[in-house]
Amino acid sequence: MIKNPSHPKKSVRKVKQCKFTEAGLEYIDYKDVETLQRFTNDQGKILPRRVTGTSAKHQRQLTTAIKRARFLGLMPYVAENLR
Amino acid sequence: MTVFQTENIQSKLMNSYYELTYIISPVLEDEQYPAVIQRINDLITSKGGTVEEVEEWGLRKFTYEMDKKQTGFYVNLYFEGPATAIESIERAMRIDDEIMRYLTLKYDAKMKRHKELVKKNAVPEVFPVIEEDDSEEDK
Repeated sequence: MIKNPSHPKKSVRKVKQCKFTEAGLEYIDYKDVETLQRFTNDQGKILPRRVTGTSAKHQRQLTTAIKRARFLGLMPYVAENLR
Repeated sequence: MTVFQTENIQSKLMNSYYELTYIISPVLEDEQYPAVIQRINDLITSKGGTVEEVEEWGLRKFTYEMDKKQTGFYVNLYFEGPATAIESIERAMRIDDEIMRYLTLKYDAKMKRHKELVKKNAVPEVFPVIEEDDSEEDK
């Protein structure tokens, strides 16, 4: 156990910011595939909020947008190399 | 927005703003696409809607195989119309063999404001979150 609060192993947790809130975006468009792709991993899975730091409100919008894009074939359900 | 008592009556008559994206099957010849687009536009008009904007994205590659096809002709359009029209428009598109898929979205105030920004090319940029995600292998 490390008691010393200034110990290098006790790193300060980085505060994550919601990118959409920062940008002041009101609506996440399913047509904006490039942005959406940044919120999926290389398998094409949607990244969790705890990884990206997206706010709950925007995460809900984001998942809908990604799913719409997937439906229209703009984004993959599963990455090509894994299928 | 409207007076409380008349709101109910007005909402029935009121037209909403919709966005419709559909994919035309790539088995058609190049000259046949405008005819299909025209047919859909006429369909919307015949149901009491007014087509505002039609944008052809053209032939695009799918990220996954869809009905044994690799590409599709995308059309994105905006229209105004009564809510009752949507059902019949969607039904007609479902029956249509040349339409592979369609997506209708009703626009609310936020989405309309976003569209204005898109028009002005003033959409705020969202920056990359994690550098590792920059890989572009799904091409």
